[in-house]
Amino acid sequence: MAIRLYDYSLSGSCYKVRLMLGFLGLEYERVQMNFYPGRQHRSPEFREINPLGQIPVLEEDGLRLRDAQAILCHLANSHDASGEWLPRDAERFGPVMMWLMFAGGELMAASAARLHDALGYELDIEEARRKARAAFRVLDDHLTAREIAGARWIVGDTPTIADVACFPYVALAGDGGLGHEEYPALRNWMRDFRRLPRFRAMSGIPEFI
Amino acid sequence: MSVARELWTGVALDDQIQAASSNPVILDGQALAVWRGEEGPVRVWEDRCPHRGMRLSFGFVRGETLRCIYHGWTYATDGQCLAIPAHPTLAPPKTICASTYPSETRYGIVWTKLDGGSNGAALPDLGPDEGWEPVRSLFVHAAASPVLEALLNCDLGQQGPVHMVAENAAEVEIGPELRVLVAVHAMDDERTALHAVARGPRAASERAGLARRLERLRDDIERA
Repeated sequence: MAIRLYDYSLSGSCYKVRLMLGFLGLEYERVQMNFYPGRQHRSPEFREINPLGQIPVLEEDGLRLRDAQAILCHLANSHDASGEWLPRDAERFGPVMMWLMFAGGELMAASAARLHDALGYELDIEEARRKARAAFRVLDDHLTAREIAGARWIVGDTPTIADVACFPYVALAGDGGLGHEEYPALRNWMRDFRRLPRFRAMSGIPEFI
Repeated sequence: MSVARELWTGVALDDQIQAASSNPVILDGQALAVWRGEEGPVRVWEDRCPHRGMRLSFGFVRGETLRCIYHGWTYATDGQCLAIPAHPTLAPPKTICASTYPSETRYGIVWTKLDGGSNGAALPDLGPDEGWEPVRSLFVHAAASPVLEALLNCDLGQQGPVHMVAENAAEVEIGPELRVLVAVHAMDDERTALHAVARGPRAASERAGLARRLERLRDDIERA
């Protein structure tokens, strides 16, 4: 049952997995990667573990998984007896998957902006920020509609892996030069998320609420 | 529309400022911290801790005090510094004070003005404060004057004419029983926020639909 996470403290994608492991109360071994400046994730040795040269990677019982969203699905599927983190009913399963794909897709523009500002990656920063703001607005509109309906989470009445997957790069927006001024529903959702039992902060996300 | 410093401007919906929270708002290029204690009304301050300039919108609330995230300097609702954690026995001098702006909550909207004096027009007066329901805030990537222009010509469905109730607020009547008030808030030269509330027997049940129509208005303005 040993779980091993190939991890980097400052990675928002690795943070998603650490958050989920924490919410589920799971022990795990951390392999600290020298992502920057060592670029260990692009080394030939690590390419044998993940040919895409990306972290996080999670290993458990001979299973080796890449992609933060896939790992969240695996952890909820295997370790959440309540079934609430990954609901299987038709009303919630599809929407959770939809927002999970959004977290790994459109929302990653905010990660790109952060890699540019924090680690000096060469990319079109204005384009990255424009796409990130568009993604934030889509989620803010959704969460505003949820507030109006009397709800707090992205899907259903309890937090799911969709919330876990979306939280890090929304919360870390400032590292990519993106403010939270235009997203009141995102701010309230983030505050609720940070108040969850077993929530852990990371560098760039305030510990105190 | 330029933001006159003595003009009351709606900067947030009261309903969206949670208890025990501090929030970033930009008004006419000025960064503000809009915060609420564990109970009590919303306050509007300059978004800057007098100690090291850290944004107070990153701060946290304990009781009716706002604390800076950087070194925990603790401020009372009038802005006065009450405590400095690194010097627990020191009574902070009266000169250590966060900059505050006037704030009023009316019709479910938090209003402020950058000029703290009593110059300028009063808050919009649309009758009693009771009965207004929040709709939503919108953030439009356009300057205030085209946004105001679009608002005056908008169609929220079955509506009468849009009329100004202040230099920066408009009211729309939708049928005989639904009124929508929209405060126009210039963030800077490129961004304008709208804060909408509604009144009438249908206000609560129409909220989701009104929010969607306002989102459409936002998107139409940005496409124009």
